[in-house]
Amino acid sequence: MRIAVKYCGGCNPSYRREEIEEVLRKYFQVSYADSADLIVCISGCKKGCAAERARGEFLHFDEKIKEEEIVRKVKEKLLLK
Amino acid sequence: MMTGKEYIESLRKYRPKIYFMGRRIESVADDPITAPHVNAAAMTYELAHDPRYEDVMTAVSHLTGERINRFNHIHQSTEDLVKKVRMIRVLGQKTGSCFQRCVGCDAMNAIYITSYNIDRKYGTEYHERVRQYIKYVQKNDLMPAGAMTDVKGDRSKRPSQQADKDLYVRIVEKREDGIVVRGAKAHITGAVNSHEIIVMPTRALEADDKDYAVSFAVPVDAEGVKMIFGRQTNDLRRLDGDMDCGNAKYATVGGEALVIFDDVFVPWERVFMCGEYDFAGELVEVFATFHRQNYGACKVGVADVLIGATANVAEMQGIARASHVVDKITEMIHLAETCWCCTLACSYEGFRTPSGAYMPNQLLANVTKLNITRFPYEWSRIAQDITGGIVITLPSEKDYRNPETRDLIEKYLKGVAETPTEQRMRMIRLVENLSIGAELPESMHGAGSPQAQKIMIARRSNLEMKKEMARIIAGIKEDEHFRKIRGVTEREFFSKLK
Repeated sequence: MRIAVKYCGGCNPSYRREEIEEVLRKYFQVSYADSADLIVCISGCKKGCAAERARGEFLHFDEKIKEEEIVRKVKEKLLLK
Repeated sequence: MMTGKEYIESLRKYRPKIYFMGRRIESVADDPITAPHVNAAAMTYELAHDPRYEDVMTAVSHLTGERINRFNHIHQSTEDLVKKVRMIRVLGQKTGSCFQRCVGCDAMNAIYITSYNIDRKYGTEYHERVRQYIKYVQKNDLMPAGAMTDVKGDRSKRPSQQADKDLYVRIVEKREDGIVVRGAKAHITGAVNSHEIIVMPTRALEADDKDYAVSFAVPVDAEGVKMIFGRQTNDLRRLDGDMDCGNAKYATVGGEALVIFDDVFVPWERVFMCGEYDFAGELVEVFATFHRQNYGACKVGVADVLIGATANVAEMQGIARASHVVDKITEMIHLAETCWCCTLACSYEGFRTPSGAYMPNQLLANVTKLNITRFPYEWSRIAQDITGGIVITLPSEKDYRNPETRDLIEKYLKGVAETPTEQRMRMIRLVENLSIGAELPESMHGAGSPQAQKIMIARRSNLEMKKEMARIIAGIKEDEHFRKIRGVTEREFFSKLK
């Protein structure tokens, strides 16, 4: 399953956003392409800029979250497809 | 939506138990001590009917589709958050005081957001109760007061550890038809002239404090609710005419009361949290975020009036063109607009919560309020500086009205020839009202004392990220972008220079 990552601009993130991508790369095939089986939007804060222009099926992270939670949410979303 | 006049009339239908200076206030709408605060709150109703302000003063309810007063609205977008603060600044300008109604607005939004999260975890039905309650408030255009701050007793102890268990509001009995609560809430703005009181916990709680995890709403005249109206500096000047107060129509700050819940019964449909101690901290934080957002608007609206008063005094005293006066008034404007920037920023950076309601950015809302614990002291200092010592030595209205002393005051307190002495006196009194007395400590402690904001700022900012930025710039940690820009590592790039 291919996952595409879309970041917000990163002006004042409340956590290290790259941690989400690093976890994703451990379990899935990740790119920055415009299309994939799932778009994962990574915002640095609750403002959620990464998800503002997202369309269709996507998953949005906007705070620090445990590795197993990230994997669980992605798998859950992929299974729904 | 009620008009200002209808709001005042509506208060006469309630019979709250309010005490002040050893007597009971029989009619909050008419008593000279409370009437100015009533007038300030009435402005929130009146402006909703003025086409020049209705864009900020009203909203369309997402619950009913009806146009409602924005103070009873659940924010549905960041634009709603921005319009709230625009409304609040306007009201600060129109009253030069606290108009009190934002607390209930923030309480409704906070319980709307938190009750949704409680239900998701526990399968409870609080959120639907909150929705029904808010519909009732919107339909009747009521003013609920928000009551959060407990009296707290020994601050080193949690609620359940206090010697007297009633020092935080708690559930003393659960019945088939509702709960019975006991305790007291302090500094409750607008409580005496509200229709309802919404109670929330005041701090994060632990399992032992379960009985203190309670949120509910009751009418102000519910059986067992008693209020003791707080004293303010110079409050009895309200009995001495309309000059000495400085702002006789709308008073100063909100008219705060100690609200006592002496075994008050609350039916289940008005209970919004009952024992879910793990959500008490969240409710406090959400409410505090909304309320700290406001302070960059209401205090700035009041500052607009103070800046105007100071500039008027400067003209009346013939110093308006002095370069240091121009500079100081500009400094006042700069300080006020800096606070305004903060409140706009935390609103525009707001976000959608799982409930669908929007709330401001927590970090920036706390920065907003922390600035308000400081900047009003500075703009008030400048106002006092420009006004001069007369701000604390001005004769009373009674001496001005006394035929034996009136001519002497007219002659010797005259400023520039074109300004009547009475106008100069009124303007100096307004500066006194806005820069001395309750206004400043209210800026300090309203919506939480400065340390509360510092804690939130520390928690919500990302210090580790800043440390890493510094390590990269200092050349301690590799700069991935520099390598891409120059095609070599920093070490390789700078080795050529050595």
